[in-house]
Amino acid sequence: MATLGYYLLLAAFIVCAYAGAISVAGARRRSRPLIESGIGAFYLVSAIMGVASAVIVYSFVVGDYSIRYVQRYSDSVQPLFYKLTSYWGGLDGSIMFWVALLSAFGSAAVYINRERHRELIPYVVTVISVVQMFFLFLMIVHNNPFQTYLTETPTEGTGLNPLLQNFYMAIHPPTMYLGFVGLTIPYAFGMAALITGYLDDSWLRAVRRWTMIAWLFLSVGLGLGMIWAYEELGWGGYWMWDPVENAGLLPWFTATAFLHSVMVQEKRGMLRVWNVALVITTFFLTIFGTFMTRSGIVQSVHAFGDDPELARMFTIFMIATVVVSFGFLIYRLPLLRARNELDSWLSREAAFMMNNWILLFSAFFVLFATMFPTLSEAIRGERLTVGPPFFNQWMLPIGLTLLFLTGVGPLLAWRKSTVVNLRDQFLFPVSMGLAAGIAVVALGVRVWASGICFALSAFVIGTVTQEFWRGARVRQRATGTDVFTALVGLVGRNKRRYGGYVVHLGMVLIFFGFAGEGFKQKEEAQLKPGQQVAVGDFVIRHDALSVTDDGQKQMITAHVTVLRDGKTFAEMYPAKWIFRKHEESPTTEVAIHRGFAQDVYLVLATFDAATQTASLAVDINPLVNWVWMGFGLLALGIGIALLPDAAFSFATAAVPANAATTALILLAVVLSQGVTLAQETVPAIFRSPLERQVANEIMCDCGGCRLSTESCGMMNCHGKERQLSKIQQHIKSGQGHDAILASFVREHGGYDVLMQPPNRGFNRMAWLLPYGVATVCLLGVAFTALRWSRRRVPAPAAPAIDPELDARLENELRDLE
Amino acid sequence: MSNKAAKIGLSGVVLATAFGVLLYSSLGESLQYYKYVDEVMAEPAAWHGKNLQVHGIVVPDSIARKPDSLEWRFDLQRNGKVLRAYYTGIVPDTFKAESEVVLTGTMDDKGFHATEMTAKCPSKYDAAPAGPTVESSPAPSGGA
Repeated sequence: MATLGYYLLLAAFIVCAYAGAISVAGARRRSRPLIESGIGAFYLVSAIMGVASAVIVYSFVVGDYSIRYVQRYSDSVQPLFYKLTSYWGGLDGSIMFWVALLSAFGSAAVYINRERHRELIPYVVTVISVVQMFFLFLMIVHNNPFQTYLTETPTEGTGLNPLLQNFYMAIHPPTMYLGFVGLTIPYAFGMAALITGYLDDSWLRAVRRWTMIAWLFLSVGLGLGMIWAYEELGWGGYWMWDPVENAGLLPWFTATAFLHSVMVQEKRGMLRVWNVALVITTFFLTIFGTFMTRSGIVQSVHAFGDDPELARMFTIFMIATVVVSFGFLIYRLPLLRARNELDSWLSREAAFMMNNWILLFSAFFVLFATMFPTLSEAIRGERLTVGPPFFNQWMLPIGLTLLFLTGVGPLLAWRKSTVVNLRDQFLFPVSMGLAAGIAVVALGVRVWASGICFALSAFVIGTVTQEFWRGARVRQRATGTDVFTALVGLVGRNKRRYGGYVVHLGMVLIFFGFAGEGFKQKEEAQLKPGQQVAVGDFVIRHDALSVTDDGQKQMITAHVTVLRDGKTFAEMYPAKWIFRKHEESPTTEVAIHRGFAQDVYLVLATFDAATQTASLAVDINPLVNWVWMGFGLLALGIGIALLPDAAFSFATAAVPANAATTALILLAVVLSQGVTLAQETVPAIFRSPLERQVANEIMCDCGGCRLSTESCGMMNCHGKERQLSKIQQHIKSGQGHDAILASFVREHGGYDVLMQPPNRGFNRMAWLLPYGVATVCLLGVAFTALRWSRRRVPAPAAPAIDPELDARLENELRDLE
Repeated sequence: MSNKAAKIGLSGVVLATAFGVLLYSSLGESLQYYKYVDEVMAEPAAWHGKNLQVHGIVVPDSIARKPDSLEWRFDLQRNGKVLRAYYTGIVPDTFKAESEVVLTGTMDDKGFHATEMTAKCPSKYDAAPAGPTVESSPAPSGGA
């Protein structure tokens, strides 16, 4: 199976190369058959990737533990569902999953647009093929998911980390991937437009919908991530500005900017360079985000370990992307001249430009702050970090300005707003905002940021309501129906616009939830039974601590009564579960009492069963649920915008799916039982220099980290101890450095147990090979493409061959011998 | 045309400078040095009063807790250098002897006063779906 899988990947790579090359050739020679052949090959890639996916999923299901990836990320007792999701459970498989999704998305995009945008399609195929080739190349030389054990096959798998075996973890990564992969499609069309020079607005029309779909997935993915952090991790919040979170946020900013600036180009023919640049930047950020989290350049508690090799390959790819993309952009600048100039700053296009600048600045800022530790280390040689407060300090005013513009944009007219229509348009929303502001002050809200946020929310709601109301009235008068029918008709007529307004409402709800953060209250207390602690309006009383056992785990549950105004508000049961054989890592079961106004969030932190003492972390999180509702509304809005054409079925599928997902996640959180693998730890403190050196050169065996045994930071790493104790044995038996490495290589059956292949003799080839192969492939593809694309010059008619002359030549040649 | 380009360029430069200055000045307050215990202990006095993140391993048998309270005292070590640390609050599940922790806080003569504690435990995430999408949030840290 493994061999089949590997050959499928190789085949996919070759077919990709063919598709890319033949498409260029077809486009240059204007040969329909060649282009069709390229498209066919492109479809074939998705078929091959489909089969390869089936192979790995099959291997997971039957438990083919000779494949390393299967062995590391699944075991026989794992439920079938999680065996399937183990596919993207690790680094190698997730790259493969990425390619599979990209090929499927790409094929769909090409299929839909093949007639309408005939001139662009060949280059779309080429660009996507090149991106696929990069990821396939990564798998073939570096992260092959079908790699097998050279030595004896283990009979049982290590198992997917139990913490990841929850519904959330199954659904969140694919959602994010769909968002990331989807953003490759606009890039491909943008590049195709640049290459061909067909830089009218047709490429924009082709990618609008794809950008919306990608944006939907990205937004929902981010939302799911926040829900998971909130409910699973038990630290009381949902966003921590962790590098891995930020990696998903960066392209979201630029994609949002693009969705807005597209409209300016459509209506006014401006921002044409800008739009192409945004599409390129967005694509670049998806790749950069991947790079950031996988290469180890950013230190995060959660990022993947150091992998300089991968980092190098990504760097090369990213530099190439930037150079080629922006090179073409500069080359085509003359074709991208704006058809209009900005008439007035009091126009909708000006508001969109502001929105774009701010979104781009947000992306830049988050990138800067995320990379800050790395940058400071590179420049000053000293690692400096900035914490979440720094992010908040900047993103708070930025977010509020964006919210303000959300309300302003739709009220301004294109080109230029006159004083009369300004007054006419702004009267209602501004008075809504002011009313809310006054109410906020009167109610005594003392957190200024939240106060402003509430007022701005009211302003935006005013704007959106007014838009719907006026539109519906006009339509009602025109068609003579009732208001509701007119409203539905209105939305149907201009789905993108009104869907967009619904998305704006979703964002308002999200901001409303964010504003609640300003009123967050938290307390930590050590309580004996009967003792209580006051947090905000609530009194938390610890009643008892019970210890129960269900055979699988011991459950220590705190029985807590939450009182409000002296009356019982809720009874809650935060718990710690201690699984048999995993006593070292108890799991925290957060208790959340949800409400529109606030969540009461309880964590049982530590306990003393003998005295029934419990220490509790209490968080009162106001308005949190509005954030989740906002994400739901946002998905609904995009669903409306996507409704036309064939997307109807998609929209109906996506919206309930999202609502159901949220519900299922809640369920999953209640039911999920995270277990971490407990292992005894090897004293890691006083060790000889030799042992350290060897440990630095031998790869940790745990499977995911690709770090050296020395630097694998996992506390309960099950591979590290094994390797370390082996190293210690070897040292005890008096072996030297080289001998130890040699015996590891012997035992493991290959050099890949070493962090680096010995850099001498034949092994030096190993260093050069990937780059050599890449160069040869690229040159080959380029050469073939150029060759094929050379227009065939009619060959000069072959001189008629004189039979006599022929015979004489024959004779003479014979004589020569 | 060149007039327009100059205007755009000029406003670009002004904006960039303004944001640069703002960024730089706001950085000053929120900068934290990220250091390993041995780096800090090489010259402890130099770090007094600075915002600091210290990364080290909890020394076995050094963890002490004031009865019926959430006040902790323990030692962090790395490469033989030891730093005494104080922390009040709820510790992560993963905080125990020999766990790798990152403390945020300040230092004085008595030792390190942490306001935040993160236990480094990527093993929870090692099998995490790779990529930008790995959901990621801080390790459960009661103090955070």
